Amino acid sequence: MKLLRARALAFLLDLLVWAYLLYSGFTLYYLSALWSPWRPEEKLVWPALSPWAWAVVLVGLGEAVLLTQAFGPSLGQRLMGVHLVAEDGAPPKLAARLAYFGFSHLALATLGLGSVLHPQRPWHERWAGVRLEPLPPPSSAVRRPPWYRTAYGLTALLVALATLAVGWRLTEVDLRRLVYDASKSLRIWYGLIGPDFRYLLAPDPRIKLSLVDGLVQSLYMALLATVAGTVAAFPLSFLGARNVAARHPVGWAIYALTRGFFNVVRSVETVFWAAIFAIWLGWGPFAGATALFVHTVAALGKLFSEQVEHIDPGPVEAVTATGANLLQVVRYAVVPQVLPQYLAFAIYRWDINLRMAVVVALVGGGGIGRHLFEYKDDLRWSLVGAVILLFMLTVWVMDYLSGWIREKIV
Amino acid sequence: MKRFWAKIRAGVWAGAAALRRRATALWEAGRGFLRAYGWPPLRRAAEFLLAWLKALRIRVLPPLLDLVFLGYLWLATSIAVSFAATGRVAYTLLSWEWFVLVVGVTGALWSAWDQTLGLKVVRHRLSPASPGMRLLYALFWPLFPLTLVTALVDREGRSPAEWFTDLRLVEAGEARPRRWYRSPTGWLAVLGLGVSLAAAVAVTRVDLRAFVTRFEKTLKFWRAIFSPAWDQAGLGLKLLVETLFMAVVATAFAVPVAAALSFLAARNLMRGPLPRLLYTVLRVTGSFTRSIDAIIWAIIFAVWVGTGSFAGVLALFVHSVVDLMKLYAEQIEAIDPGPVEAITATGANRLQVLRYGVIPQIINPFISFTLYRWDINVRMATVVGLVGGGGIGFRLAWYLGAYAFSEATMLTLLIVLMVWSIDWLSARIREKLA
Amino acid sequence: MAHVVVENLSKIYERGKVRALWNVNFSVEKGEFLVLIGLSGSGKSTLLRCINRLVEPTSGRVFLNGLELTRLSPRAMRRVRRRIGMIFQQFNLVKRATVLQNVLAGRLGYTSTLPSLLGWFPKRDIQRAKECLERVGLLDKMYVRADQLSGGQQQRVGIARALMQEPELLLADEPVSALDPATSHSVMQYIEQINKEDGVTVIASLHFLSLARRYGQRILALRAGEVVFDGPPEAIDDRKFKEIYGEEAEEVEIR
Repeated sequence: MKLLRARALAFLLDLLVWAYLLYSGFTLYYLSALWSPWRPEEKLVWPALSPWAWAVVLVGLGEAVLLTQAFGPSLGQRLMGVHLVAEDGAPPKLAARLAYFGFSHLALATLGLGSVLHPQRPWHERWAGVRLEPLPPPSSAVRRPPWYRTAYGLTALLVALATLAVGWRLTEVDLRRLVYDASKSLRIWYGLIGPDFRYLLAPDPRIKLSLVDGLVQSLYMALLATVAGTVAAFPLSFLGARNVAARHPVGWAIYALTRGFFNVVRSVETVFWAAIFAIWLGWGPFAGATALFVHTVAALGKLFSEQVEHIDPGPVEAVTATGANLLQVVRYAVVPQVLPQYLAFAIYRWDINLRMAVVVALVGGGGIGRHLFEYKDDLRWSLVGAVILLFMLTVWVMDYLSGWIREKIV
Repeated sequence: MKRFWAKIRAGVWAGAAALRRRATALWEAGRGFLRAYGWPPLRRAAEFLLAWLKALRIRVLPPLLDLVFLGYLWLATSIAVSFAATGRVAYTLLSWEWFVLVVGVTGALWSAWDQTLGLKVVRHRLSPASPGMRLLYALFWPLFPLTLVTALVDREGRSPAEWFTDLRLVEAGEARPRRWYRSPTGWLAVLGLGVSLAAAVAVTRVDLRAFVTRFEKTLKFWRAIFSPAWDQAGLGLKLLVETLFMAVVATAFAVPVAAALSFLAARNLMRGPLPRLLYTVLRVTGSFTRSIDAIIWAIIFAVWVGTGSFAGVLALFVHSVVDLMKLYAEQIEAIDPGPVEAITATGANRLQVLRYGVIPQIINPFISFTLYRWDINVRMATVVGLVGGGGIGFRLAWYLGAYAFSEATMLTLLIVLMVWSIDWLSARIREKLA
Repeated sequence: MAHVVVENLSKIYERGKVRALWNVNFSVEKGEFLVLIGLSGSGKSTLLRCINRLVEPTSGRVFLNGLELTRLSPRAMRRVRRRIGMIFQQFNLVKRATVLQNVLAGRLGYTSTLPSLLGWFPKRDIQRAKECLERVGLLDKMYVRADQLSGGQQQRVGIARALMQEPELLLADEPVSALDPATSHSVMQYIEQINKEDGVTVIASLHFLSLARRYGQRILALRAGEVVFDGPPEAIDDRKFKEIYGEEAEEVEIR
């Protein structure tokens, strides 16, 4: 059964690897032949082939997989921890490998019927005089060849190279632009060196807030979201901890629900939440703070409940043995163990929220980010420079402070 | 050609050696001078300076911290109260004289009657005394900046307030901690938190009724969220792949750079004056660069090379290099010196020591840090994209700005799927490594 | 009537079908010091935990003062646990909490839920905690965090926590196997003192026979979950010893 699974998964993995290699080759060709930087929609396309050509491609893929599987452990076989050996346990001879390659076509043609009927050793392996065996553990006396002389090592290298090459082209890495367009970046450097602090205290006529007002808004958005988020995540974290909540079916359902909530909400970008709340609650800092709050509850909830799951069970046992009830056990054996970590995580979250408080302004979340994006869109770089400098200064001070507090706590 | 390069190399080595010799000679000369003439008077001067600094740390720093805290309390109270009263935010309610007076008096009384926050930080407290004496202490407390002078004269480095009273600042031992509701510091701390929250509620214009009254505005949105624009799936998938590749490329090119730099940024490998200088320069530049947020880097690069995924890659790259350099270097600093010593004892040269004594110890942490950073980069790639770094984030910001919620939901769905699979994948790989 | 009676007690762990205890029968008189010995994995810990039902036995009955513990509801069991102190091999203190808080935790069964959640204990409980700490010689460490203490001191805090419960029965699960020999004796002497002065029944599992001989009034030996010996310490001769610990074992003297 185990070998059957290994065979099937190894085949699938190898198929995926070769398909990926083929596709990246195609993408590279396409990108260099039909380069169109202005239409990102067309950066990756399906090859437009006739059905006939598709058939050739598919057969070619299959052949490539069978060939790599016959000659040395392929990447799929390596990952599943199996390799081919001859009857006597030695690496198979060339003839045996060729025979295996030939006979495995039959196995593929019957959709692996032989592997299902005889999972230990299907027909094509018997005819070729080879066997599929688990790889010896790395510490055993059998010396393995170095990776660059094996099929799986070379395939992995090829995959890595293809990934880098495609990534390089796809993300339009163009180092020349770094040099040629350096003059364009001068504007922003000038802005940073000669910032224009005219709106530092005086309100900007369009936004009606000064930079300091915006900064205070951002700071308090982050503060409100962090404090309220921590308070809300605290009780939820116990419901989301397997060792506290999941003790009977109802508890297990609560546990699963809580964890699901954490995972879904956490992986949705804060900006998305900010856009929702900007419509719901109207543009402004309240929408931004609510978005930060929602994301904070989920992110902290997950971190917190993991902490609860990793506590030392000893004190729990000891406090239970004194005759305490569940609430008392949580209060005296669980909470003291996790509280310092909770605080550390909350402070860490505060650092993140402060930065995200700027980004939520992109969709109407309020705060100093609003100045930043407005000035950037107007290409008023010296004002942008002022915002960036002010914000950086704040972030430094806050990072220093929070790092110091975290050190004191833990 | 070969001889040409050999010559160049020899020249460079000779130059480096000469520089090194010169620096070492200077260093040695300085130490020799100190050893021969400087020690006793210099030591005495240093001791005096240290005692003075210690006195200032206990007598000047805490009051300053307390004043900053009280000033903040005033500010936050003003914000909260002014908003509650007038609906507008004001930073000071009364004139500046009042501010100075209130903060000063509170600070003096607080310092005389309890272990203030500042004193907690430096782990000192006041010795017990009668209320009258405490009042006297409070009266002289505002003179605390004069400690700069008195600490020079006084042997114990006392502040003026201590001079005129019999109260002393002593080290706080393992005394019984007082309940927070029984000490002024506790009240002030709670007040600080409460006022901060009140100010936060005021500044962010919290209006919980809006959740209900404005609900119908979101109906369009709820409809959209349950009908994602499936026709965007193809485009979204392409952008997703692009985003993924942004993270891959940034991480892949950051790793060799960071690994090379990390050896130069490891304190235990950089011995001697010149290497130490290099170490300091690298560490300082690193922490400076790291503290500039990736979002700001993205804005800078979006202007530099134009909006697009290249800008995003550059922003992620810069941030990854400095972050990984720090993580790697810390790992190198934490290695077991035993093997290094053993390899050195066999007569191996520096590079051999690195290869056989250091690298085997750090290879696994390096890989797990790299995975961790890749994990972060995948998430950051979308955020960086929002501000002009290309990829799926840029499109998402665009749709959100245009209230195209079905499309935005589709992209968000894809991002969620990507984040989950990456989470799962890197957890599996790290499990295998551990 | 015996203080503690164990009848036909068996425990089979579902996972792996391990037979931890099989048909264990014994009784303990009031004020007795019973020592459980046996190899690691012979079921000593499980037996102790079955008595206060931290582990649910598969079958069999446990009586305390004639009250059948194995039939009690969780709520009633919590009330009974208040009178059963327990000491653990790994001390099981909350490392980040102060010594005083750890000792007060022994009073939780007597404190009503709401005040205890807020951290409020009656004055006399705090007074009592100080007395307990004085008894184990740790009064000066009252406000020190538990992880700042040495192993022997931590175990003494564990004893103080058990004392807080005003126990009539004290269960000690390998109380000294994480400690060095000298500290072991000091901790065992505290337990012996509680047994002698307060008349508390003690059931302690010990790894070393020499310690068991020195402190136990009666010894119960387990092997693979079954009782292989029950009698006074002097009755364990070489043959009995080999039967309990296996043929290859040799007795180690611990001072």
